[in-house]
Amino acid sequence: MEIVLLTSTLVFYLLSTVGFLLALVSPQQLFGRIAPGLLLVACATHGGAIMVRSLSVGYIAVTNPYEAVSFFTWITSGLFLLVQWRSSLTVLGAVVSPIGFVLTLGVFVLYTQARALPPALQSSWLPVHVTLAFLGNAVFCVAFFASLIYVFQEKRLKGKKIGGVLRHLPSLETLDKLNYRSLSWGFPLLTLGIVSGAVWARHAWGHFWIWEPRPILSLVSWVLYAFLLHYRSFGWRGRRAATLTIVCFAVLLVSFLGAQLLPGRHGGEFG
Amino acid sequence: MAKPDPSLMVVGLNHHTTPVEVREKLAFSDGMLHHALPRLVEAPGIQEGAIISTCNRVEVVTWTHDPPQASRHIKTFLAQEQGLPLRLFEAHLYTHTDREAVRHVFRVASSLDSLVVGEPQILGQIKDAYSASASLGTLGTVLHRWFHKAFSVAKRVRSETAIAAKPVSVSSVAVELACRIFDQLTDKTAMVIGVGEMSQQAIRQLRARAIGTLLITNRTFQRAVELASTCAGTVVPFEQFPRQLHLADVVIGSAGGSAYHLTPERVHEALQERKRRPMFLIDLGVPRNFDPRLNDLENVFVYDIDDLEQIVADHKGERELEARKAEAIVSQEVEAFWQWYASRDISPTIVALRQKAEAVRQREVEKTLAGLKDCSPETRRAIEGLSASLMNKLLHPPIGYLKHRTRNGNAEDGATSVTAVRQMFGLDDDQD
Repeated sequence: MEIVLLTSTLVFYLLSTVGFLLALVSPQQLFGRIAPGLLLVACATHGGAIMVRSLSVGYIAVTNPYEAVSFFTWITSGLFLLVQWRSSLTVLGAVVSPIGFVLTLGVFVLYTQARALPPALQSSWLPVHVTLAFLGNAVFCVAFFASLIYVFQEKRLKGKKIGGVLRHLPSLETLDKLNYRSLSWGFPLLTLGIVSGAVWARHAWGHFWIWEPRPILSLVSWVLYAFLLHYRSFGWRGRRAATLTIVCFAVLLVSFLGAQLLPGRHGGEFG
Repeated sequence: MAKPDPSLMVVGLNHHTTPVEVREKLAFSDGMLHHALPRLVEAPGIQEGAIISTCNRVEVVTWTHDPPQASRHIKTFLAQEQGLPLRLFEAHLYTHTDREAVRHVFRVASSLDSLVVGEPQILGQIKDAYSASASLGTLGTVLHRWFHKAFSVAKRVRSETAIAAKPVSVSSVAVELACRIFDQLTDKTAMVIGVGEMSQQAIRQLRARAIGTLLITNRTFQRAVELASTCAGTVVPFEQFPRQLHLADVVIGSAGGSAYHLTPERVHEALQERKRRPMFLIDLGVPRNFDPRLNDLENVFVYDIDDLEQIVADHKGERELEARKAEAIVSQEVEAFWQWYASRDISPTIVALRQKAEAVRQREVEKTLAGLKDCSPETRRAIEGLSASLMNKLLHPPIGYLKHRTRNGNAEDGATSVTAVRQMFGLDDDQD
């Protein structure tokens, strides 16, 4: 059942990718209306696959690379859908759908059979920490893509090249606002994710802090995001803010993906 | 002498064929149309009529049973209604009939025949012309259908091509660019330096996008006051505008002078004061008003007249490409409309042919069955089936011939075929 749902998810990510790309290049408005619907179906089937897996193992399924990537892809796509629904930013869909497709393909590669949860992870802090951390990452992912599009759009406008896909892009102001709003939501989530992780570590291993790659990189990301938010409140905006957002997310991504491979309690099999 | 065939017809002149001094003399006002339209369809040979009158064209659209007479009448009608000698404009007139007339109206409605291809106003003007004629009762089935089809073709062209997606005037491109930078203009401030024609065009575009605040400055204070009074702007004395520069999200410069009105140092100060919120500087002046080095500043976007004209040229080129796609759509739709138009003449003939054949079949079957004693129900059904099959097979070629001739030939072919079939099968005879 889980594999059937994941396969359906893959197909719908692909279809929504085609829909969003057609919406960008075709004058027909039909594609712009259909594509979010297809992404919604992909999200629904993906959520179903995660739920089936979680029910079968009896805990929230995020404890190994396969489950973590799958959960991150799902929560990010859902968040993008929410932004799309509120702001009609077709171009964001054109970015998230193909990424959803590629990550879901990766999920098939990383797939492992369900197994019992190690004793250290059997805690009610698991869903709290994981949900906060993943939600924070997904919100920063929105800020990252908004910044990426900002830098691209700004470069084209400065260079007086305004044809092609540029006319489908949101205004610089919209992207800058989305960036700031995402940072404002993401930072408290990241903070709470780190704090809940520390509390859980205290319960599981007797220490609030462990000097391992994952927590260290998370702390570095937190400091960078704190720096960015601080300077934004002093008038940093535009390209400078967008560039730092991209850098911050790159560090966050290293802490998320790299830590899966590096030694430590977050590495490989979570715990 | 043979009676002429009915035709769809357009007689008129437009900006391609006629200078403006002649076009303006032939233009119809709404009041004139009210009187002229009933007189147009009073003429012998004209069944239905409408007049399209815009600043670029005056065209009489008709369905006529006598095209040569109708054409003569329309020319005289135009001269009489406008009180002009026919020789003044006769050489500029064109006449399109049947498929070409249909194509012409579809192209006009789709803005493929406009001075600026893709401009949206023409469809509204044709809808007005249609409404005026419909309210005066000068339209019948054919013109109603023709106009409605023209509206749907125009809609299809607009939705399936990007013919009107990009602006093609300097001022509209400038405002379009502002919308790439700012979310909306309703909460933004624009400062206009200079009161020339270019500034006024830009102000009209900004007003159309509901710009929040408009500041106007000019070396001659009085001229700034005059312009501000026409567009609800606020006047800023020329000497003071640098101090208010930080208020402006959009700055439009079209003032004269040899020195730059905006330098990087001046704009840098303004940027700091406005917490680095973006500024869009549109330089419409020649020589330029703004130092081009301003584009190097972060969150500042500068476009001069050459940049804007280049974009306009690119947009026009893209419209031409889209126009080719639109022409293909028009051709498809002309054929679809023509099939309806041609088949509306053969439908009664096909019905009459079937009715006559059916009557003959039933009569002959009855005669045959009356001569057969003790005929079983199976035999009766077999005879019925045989006769119906024979009838259908025999009718297939003449009906196919009629359809083929009306769809693929001209109106004359269609009418000749209908006459031939009616005579051949005696459809107009009172008795069999």
